[in-house]
Amino acid sequence: MVILLQITLLSGYTTKFMKRRGFLKLLLTILGSIALILAGYPTLRFFSPAKKKAKTERLVLSKAELLRDNVKEVTFDNTPAIVINVPGKGLIALSRVCTHLGCLVSYEEERNILLCPCHAGIYDLEGNVISGPPPLPLPNYPLSIEGDKVIIG
Amino acid sequence: MARIRNWIETRIGLDEIVKSQLTEYRVPPNVNIFYALGFVAIVGFIIQIITGFFLLVHYIPHHEHAFRSVQDIMNRVNFGWFFRLIHVVGSNLLVAVAFIHMLSVFFMGSYKKPRELTWISGILILFMTLAFCLSGYLLPWSQLSYWATTIVTTMPTAIPVAGDFITRILRGGQSVSGSTLTMFFAFHVGFIPFLTLIFIGVHIFLVRRTGISSPPFGPSGKTLNSPDSFEHDSHPGGYPFYPYFFMKDAMMVMVYLAVMFFIIAFMPMLFLPETTNSPADPYETPAHIKPEWYFLAPYQMLKIIPNKILGISLQGIIVALFLFWPLLDVKEERDTLKRPFLLSVFILLLLTWIALTLWGHYS
Repeated sequence: MVILLQITLLSGYTTKFMKRRGFLKLLLTILGSIALILAGYPTLRFFSPAKKKAKTERLVLSKAELLRDNVKEVTFDNTPAIVINVPGKGLIALSRVCTHLGCLVSYEEERNILLCPCHAGIYDLEGNVISGPPPLPLPNYPLSIEGDKVIIG
Repeated sequence: MARIRNWIETRIGLDEIVKSQLTEYRVPPNVNIFYALGFVAIVGFIIQIITGFFLLVHYIPHHEHAFRSVQDIMNRVNFGWFFRLIHVVGSNLLVAVAFIHMLSVFFMGSYKKPRELTWISGILILFMTLAFCLSGYLLPWSQLSYWATTIVTTMPTAIPVAGDFITRILRGGQSVSGSTLTMFFAFHVGFIPFLTLIFIGVHIFLVRRTGISSPPFGPSGKTLNSPDSFEHDSHPGGYPFYPYFFMKDAMMVMVYLAVMFFIIAFMPMLFLPETTNSPADPYETPAHIKPEWYFLAPYQMLKIIPNKILGISLQGIIVALFLFWPLLDVKEERDTLKRPFLLSVFILLLLTWIALTLWGHYS
């Protein structure tokens, strides 16, 4: 407020009081500006999201179940993901978040593809873009097999 | 910069507004720092609005989530504690500033003709401030919130015939519940701010319309001020509001902020006792439930007056006396120092209020 008034009055109305109180004005302007800048940082931080620890940093799934169903939708690292048994390649874990505008892709059994319902982006089962607007392939998650367990992450 | 300024100037004539409302608007030459308290209160109110908006981002007004959401604001949200503490400490300071503002206006006889309406609108703003505090108190849904609200909403039951009905309306049911929470929330962020802004608008309009009153003491002080027709007190020999009086205002705002941040830094839990850290439990009343400091005097008064109706009626009469005091005290003398009887009553009332507050705190 101090600064706003200062700006409004910058070019006019100097009185003997302004001269006499120049120091106080300067001090208030500097202190006011510092206070505003200092308030800016917590404000900015307040509106930025708090750091959330991922609920699932390491996801353990049953290998037998995955091989039987071929496709399973899961949540990994707070993100919807999909684990697919790709013929000839084995199990692959992909993010379901479409790289175009963030809708979730789903497995289309008839065409054996991953389809984004929003703008018809089509990915193959390894996450590569086949057609449509997505600019990038779907992100891949590290997957390992230990005995009868499948571990993502 | 100059071009932008000119562009705006030719459209809305900002210079004329600045001239008439700031640099040529004059205050009496003998104003003191107490005259800045109205401005400080407005700045305090704006701070409450801004931090209140911030809290709205994360607060959930539902009895199953409210307590958790406030805990999250304090512990998880980035700088959530900072903005909540400003809101909590600010609300207490605002009440204190409003009280001191009222006392100084009373002491300097500034409520007298032609400023009776200014006083009444000011007291209405004070009531609104207390309503803000009361409604905001329940929102964290802690043990203290729940039981303090239960006590306050039980008070109207002392009123014959309509008492129970008023209590049910206030609670939105038989007891304090989720309905009370959502209703208090709506009042806290909707109805009360709306009414408060109207009253503040009226108050400022009246202050500007009649002109700032002069302190009644000192060589240049006016002691009699009772015109028969409307007269704007323009203080031709006074000082310009800007920059002379604005500097006083700004300095007092800095003092206000300094006190606020001193409390936040060194006494952060001053207004947040232990009972604010446990969630509301309708089946267990914690020991030593007490209202906030500004409600301690009426609380203690109710405790020591054995008859409930008498206690509440007495408080009603005191409130009404305060509100309409300028209409009752029509003597022309404004200098309280020249009215020993009024001064004695004033000091006696103040001491009684302090004594009741301390008694309520330590009992």
